Amino acid sequence: MDTTPRGADGAKAASSAPPRRWGAGHAFRGFLIQREASVILVAVLLIIYFGFANPNFITNNNIVTLSQFVAAPAIIACGEIMLLICKEIDLSAGQTFALAPFLVFFGARFGLPVVVAILVALAICAAIGLLIGLVTVLLEVPSFVTTLGTFFLITGITLTISRGFPATPPGGKFLTGILGAFSYSEIIWAFVIVFLMHMILRHTRWGLHTIAVGGNDIAAAEAGIKVNRIKVGNFMLTAALAGFTGILEAYRVGSSDPLAGGANIMFFGVASGVIGGTALTGGAGTIVGGLIGAIVLGVLQDGFTLQGINAFLFDGIIGAAILIAMVVNIRLGRLQQSHLR
Amino acid sequence: MSGNGVAEAIRAENIVKRFGSIVALNGVSIKVHRGEILGILGDNGAGKSTLIKCMTGFHQPDSGRIFVDGAEVVLDSVDRARSFGIECVYQDLALVNTLSVYHNMFLNRELRKPPFGLLNHAEMRRRTADALNDIGVGVPSVEEEVARLSGGQRQAIAVARAVYSNARILLLDEPLAAMGARESGLIIDLIERLRTRGDIAMIMIAHNYAQTLDVCDRVVLVQHGEITFEGRSAETSVEQLLEIVRREYRAARRGL
Repeated sequence: MDTTPRGADGAKAASSAPPRRWGAGHAFRGFLIQREASVILVAVLLIIYFGFANPNFITNNNIVTLSQFVAAPAIIACGEIMLLICKEIDLSAGQTFALAPFLVFFGARFGLPVVVAILVALAICAAIGLLIGLVTVLLEVPSFVTTLGTFFLITGITLTISRGFPATPPGGKFLTGILGAFSYSEIIWAFVIVFLMHMILRHTRWGLHTIAVGGNDIAAAEAGIKVNRIKVGNFMLTAALAGFTGILEAYRVGSSDPLAGGANIMFFGVASGVIGGTALTGGAGTIVGGLIGAIVLGVLQDGFTLQGINAFLFDGIIGAAILIAMVVNIRLGRLQQSHLR
Repeated sequence: MSGNGVAEAIRAENIVKRFGSIVALNGVSIKVHRGEILGILGDNGAGKSTLIKCMTGFHQPDSGRIFVDGAEVVLDSVDRARSFGIECVYQDLALVNTLSVYHNMFLNRELRKPPFGLLNHAEMRRRTADALNDIGVGVPSVEEEVARLSGGQRQAIAVARAVYSNARILLLDEPLAAMGARESGLIIDLIERLRTRGDIAMIMIAHNYAQTLDVCDRVVLVQHGEITFEGRSAETSVEQLLEIVRREYRAARRGL
């Protein structure tokens, strides 16, 4: 056997010196980009549709409303996308969302400066994520089940410490404004967090290792990546982000409800990610896609609300829209899989 | 004696490994020199993989000694084994399909750039292209998702990664299994180019007798945790190996 590779693969080998830029991979990546582009297209079409259908849709007031529909799911999606990429999920993110503002409230009543109370609350949320993560990776309970447990557990804690009553978030005018009272503060936070999480996913070792763990945990472990540490870290991140979203919402509304958020906000976060192209099979996903997914969901919610659609029908329409988006997403995924062989 | 005076890279002496009451390895000894390929043949469950895993630090033998470059070592973890330049390439487990070629190449050894320590994608792409070119592995693009590559290309990239990370003792777990002739040719070419370099010792687990005799300098046959045959490929025939295995089957059937 000589050292010159032969055959079709050999031909590629021979021409490999400057890697070809227009191979099948580029068509594939083009397809992927297209996939995100198709979600952007859906968002734009929806905005155009509602813009024509209702003159109130593109007004300053409604854009504020729209941004508020988008912000919370977008931030929660950032965490859930990281978890979905490494093949986990946090079903109790909406519960952490509800608990966090009460932690701030009681922290401040305990005498902590509000900013410190917020940091402590976020640390406690991260500790919840740590607990979820440790149970999941050490006791090998699927996170679907672990977080089904914490789903009820955290609600119980929130109801107990709040005694079922709402609370007013503490703090002066300035802090309250930054955290949510200013019309656009929540969406600005959302954009900042999306940007940071995008950087983490695409441009740090943590993000790359998260993809590796979801794509092939054995290969990741073989390469020396601490698989459990990545998973637990992403649970902590998700819980902290969910808690922070709950705090933002409480400051925006001016009150925290022990039954706020819940499954609804969590599933909006997950759905945003999936509509944005995150694979439920792990190993792939984008933060930017999650933001676009959240915009699609926000436009649907806001648009149908403006249209004055029957409240009973509302959830049905949202559900159908999510279902269609997810089916398209999964079919596209299958198509890609079949392209691979 | 093989190696033509070349230094011995790794030697395992009287390795015994038990799992509960099962004796997986019962006093196995092997050695490989630099620039040499040793083939390990044997049925499923014969102990080949256990032997490999004792050398990668994944398993710790119950007794026996391992020498790297003539000095005794204790391989109590995969990282420790790696620090001695021992690297194992598993056929399907090695790469992350959803990551690009260059991300796989640098998995957990990523290059970063100041000031924030973000990933240096451009430099990793460049070095991957250079490294693959260097040992003659061809891919359409280093940005290609690994899932898009053929089995042979994936295997080649896994080998290239091990070599690039300074593996000097390369353990190949069934590198040719489930591969067509063309794909096998790709890997065999690569393995032979690495042998020509002369600084790498390779141990290859395989099932196909003819192929193994063709590629390897020496072969050993492992049966029931013991080496039942050892010889230079040039002086060994497939029939010879089959006869030993046949005897084994007959004995096993009589035992039923």
